[in-house]
Amino acid sequence: MKTDAAILARRTPPNPQTKVVVRRAFFYAALAILAIPFVLPTWWMITSSLKPISEIFAFPPTLWPANPTLDGYTKAFEMQPFVQQYFNSLYISFFVTVGTMFISSLAGYAFARIRFRGQNLLFLIVLIGLLIPSEVTIVPLFQIFNEMGLINTHWPILLVSTFGAPSVLATFIMRQFFISLPIELEEAARLDGLGRFAIWWKIAMPLAKSALGAVAIFTFLHIWNLYLEPTVYLQSPELFTLPQALTRYTDAYGGQLWNVQLAAATMTALPVLVVFVIAQKQFVEGLAQTGLKG
Amino acid sequence: MRSAKWLTTAGLLATASLVLAGCSGAAEPAATAKNVELRMTVWTSNEDQLALFDAIAAEYIDAHPEVESVTFDPLPFEDYTTTLTTQVAGGKAPDLAWILENAAPDFVDSGALAPIQGTLEKTEGYEFDDLNAAATKLWKSDDQLIAYPFSTSPFVVFANDDLLAAAGQPTAAELQAAGKWNWEDISEVGSAVNAATGKAGFVIRDFDYTTWDNLATVWLGWGAAPWSEDGAGCEFASDEMVDALTFLHEAAFEKKSMPGPGATADFFAGESAFTVTQISRASLLAEAGFAWNLLPLPEGPAGEYSMVGQAGIGVMAQGENAQVATDFLAFFTNPDNSEKLAQWFPPARDSQLNAQTLAAANPVLTADQIEDVVVPGISTGVVRPSHTDSAKIGQTVRASLDAMWTPEADVAAVLDGVCESVEPILGN
Amino acid sequence: MTTESTVLPDRAVARSGGTGPRKRRLTHKQRDAVAGYIFVAPQVLGIVAFVLIPLALVVYFSFHEWNVLANSFTFVGVDNFERFLGDPQIAPVMQATGIFSVFLVFFNITIALLLAVMLNRSLPGITFFRTLFFSPVVVSLVAWTIVWGFLFQDNGGINGALEVIGIDGPNWLREGPTAMASVVIVQVFKNVGLNMVLFLAALQGVPQELQEAARIDGAGSRTIFTRITIPLISPTILLTFIITIVGSLQVFAQIAVLTQGGPGISTTVLVYYLFQQAFLFGEFGYGSVLSIVLFLIVLLLTVVQWQLRKKWVFYEN
Repeated sequence: MKTDAAILARRTPPNPQTKVVVRRAFFYAALAILAIPFVLPTWWMITSSLKPISEIFAFPPTLWPANPTLDGYTKAFEMQPFVQQYFNSLYISFFVTVGTMFISSLAGYAFARIRFRGQNLLFLIVLIGLLIPSEVTIVPLFQIFNEMGLINTHWPILLVSTFGAPSVLATFIMRQFFISLPIELEEAARLDGLGRFAIWWKIAMPLAKSALGAVAIFTFLHIWNLYLEPTVYLQSPELFTLPQALTRYTDAYGGQLWNVQLAAATMTALPVLVVFVIAQKQFVEGLAQTGLKG
Repeated sequence: MRSAKWLTTAGLLATASLVLAGCSGAAEPAATAKNVELRMTVWTSNEDQLALFDAIAAEYIDAHPEVESVTFDPLPFEDYTTTLTTQVAGGKAPDLAWILENAAPDFVDSGALAPIQGTLEKTEGYEFDDLNAAATKLWKSDDQLIAYPFSTSPFVVFANDDLLAAAGQPTAAELQAAGKWNWEDISEVGSAVNAATGKAGFVIRDFDYTTWDNLATVWLGWGAAPWSEDGAGCEFASDEMVDALTFLHEAAFEKKSMPGPGATADFFAGESAFTVTQISRASLLAEAGFAWNLLPLPEGPAGEYSMVGQAGIGVMAQGENAQVATDFLAFFTNPDNSEKLAQWFPPARDSQLNAQTLAAANPVLTADQIEDVVVPGISTGVVRPSHTDSAKIGQTVRASLDAMWTPEADVAAVLDGVCESVEPILGN
Repeated sequence: MTTESTVLPDRAVARSGGTGPRKRRLTHKQRDAVAGYIFVAPQVLGIVAFVLIPLALVVYFSFHEWNVLANSFTFVGVDNFERFLGDPQIAPVMQATGIFSVFLVFFNITIALLLAVMLNRSLPGITFFRTLFFSPVVVSLVAWTIVWGFLFQDNGGINGALEVIGIDGPNWLREGPTAMASVVIVQVFKNVGLNMVLFLAALQGVPQELQEAARIDGAGSRTIFTRITIPLISPTILLTFIITIVGSLQVFAQIAVLTQGGPGISTTVLVYYLFQQAFLFGEFGYGSVLSIVLFLIVLLLTVVQWQLRKKWVFYEN
């Protein structure tokens, strides 16, 4: 693979400065071309949110709004309790993420470190959760929550996401991490008389920051973009989450109000993107030290 | 259902013992006839419409202390029937529901809806006999009204006169005056518009080469029908249907008077000369930056015709308060409220099918347009084809019809194939 | 129902374990085991409550004909399973499912690995590019799919671009093979960023010294990559492989928006067919059979991959 230019650069004898510059230029050009399919749709989404409807559908599509307007943004707040919906998504994502970090690190630690009877069977049971598409269980789950009177509350989403299938990947990641953690540290703590809970909390968890970071990002993105469950469980607009709210920007006849939808979609995506930009260095480098690297 | 309920309860008990205690307080008390909370699923999230619904409901609650609240629950239009069915499956049916016309036979024939005719007839001042016979046909089972058709909206043609002028073509009114308001001539004009401007000729709105039942607005002009009156026999392969779809195929692939598959053109953004859609879309023209006109559906080889799209309100039989819900429906659709609702939803009452009532409904339309296009459309229009198992039929026909939308397709052969695949479902 | 009964003994153990610590007479090992049960309890009980019990209900539904609107629920024995075996749609649906998953996984993993290798260096602007490639992950799936739907139109952006270089592009979403390609493309670009970040992290964990040593021994960069880098990150590759393949079998919103399973039924994958039967056609009984089939396929694939890991994953732990 010639792509690893850095390796090549180190292998070949020292080059004149110009050669490096040319090689760099090629490298950046390649990246820029590769980036087009990743960036263009998002770019179109953001710029179109500033266009009047007639321009959104113009062919060929315009890359920059000819008559920029904030109409879509103001309407997004007028038509639905968008602030409330934003808050719903934020708090649900927050609690599910924190809850998942807690539960998956406990379970992942136990599956990796503690020996107990039935361990493999229990792990298998948990893994089944990773294999079930949510479409499969949504009808029985709806019935169960309906019997409990929890339809049109956030409980089904909070409970199923934190304890059910979506948290299994997190447990799997945590288990892989704890397996790779040197056991000597824990043995020392054990000689000091620490119990399992204390070892988990005081020794293992502080070392697991990077894996927990990965779990946090996975979980947050999953819940932030969750669509099927909210549409099934929630009925009142003030309880909606963002992905669900996005589809409700329609006119009186069910026709989509594209500029408003795109404005709302942009407001949904941008903050997460900004957080990634800020956190990505720590995230990537943190992940590098987890069990994910092998 | 008894055993399913039992098992669900068993699952529930097991689950309840496992989940956190924190949520146990939320169990709903069994509803008594005193504090009735009604819920109606709708597919509009338009604030003005919801505000009107709330106002009507508030008036009803004032007079009926046993009703605590009426909630209008907007579900997204795109998967409205799916979401409603899921709620019914989960045992959480609403008390009342809007029903799309293509799902009407499924709901009307299945027993999912509670009978409403007796209550409506008995309600004072309801004037049950005022309901238009053509408009209620789809919503009856054994001559009994099962759901109320609250919106009967005619299909019409909107024309972009500016675009026609830019292509050097006569305006829509001129075409009509010259006796050229028929499909062949419209296709010619559309072809010329496409050649001159690159924009589209005519667009069957919402067809998009998938929702084929919208093509009924065209094939009715050829006297074609997808299946026999009783719904048991396939008629896609009839000569009339072959001729009608040959016309569309030529329009799409030879004359280029209709955008081909995979191409979009939004009339309301000024991208096509004509579009066939429901009158209710007229409101989108309030912001249109071009001169437009409204005309009835063009004449086909089989003569003049008109078609309506409908939506109904039904009372779900599963609900605990079906009787209260029916009473509310009788109030919601009484003559006074029907007139208020006519702002958006053309009524099925003969006495309200006149220019005065409907002019208030569509401020962008002229009195002439209402008199010439809207009123005759509603009173003579046939309803879009419908059948039980509509989703399955829709999907099966779509999959077979896909073969039609290539330039070299053999129209008659494809339609034979459609019948072959859809016949077993029709006969069910 | 069998799943239910096999779980019971363990749950019983977990319960008695829960009251254990009060006795204070347990050996060190026993105390440890008790802690183990307590630690895994929330997760295991959550799976039992929110996955296994619903799954048991799905199995129960599969022996019934359930007409939601008519409120009828009748036991029909194995009728739904017989229908599955005789369903002429199943063969093309399975074929579409296989094609979709194979291409999706192949392109997703390859592109993610390629990007990770390219971006695994510290040059100015690298963070910027990483963000660009990751950005689709945070965009709402529905918005993402709709935009691509525009691009794939006959007169859309992609054919417009192809025209510039003199190629007459196909009508992407209207012809079987290109429709499938379109669905794969949309899904690949949406999620490659996530796998890329995982690979990037794995690559940064590969010790420089190993590569240096190999280089001193005269290995070329290609050899270093295939013989050292790939084996060292093989556990990550396996993990992303499993996540991606399981995810590929659960994709349906994209298909619903882009092609609705068409043209014909060329892009009707199993999960979409399941959704159609259960939610669009109201055939929950038959839909339940399809759910069980989907579950068994995913289970089988995972078991196979898990077994294979012993062969080609370089090391674990």
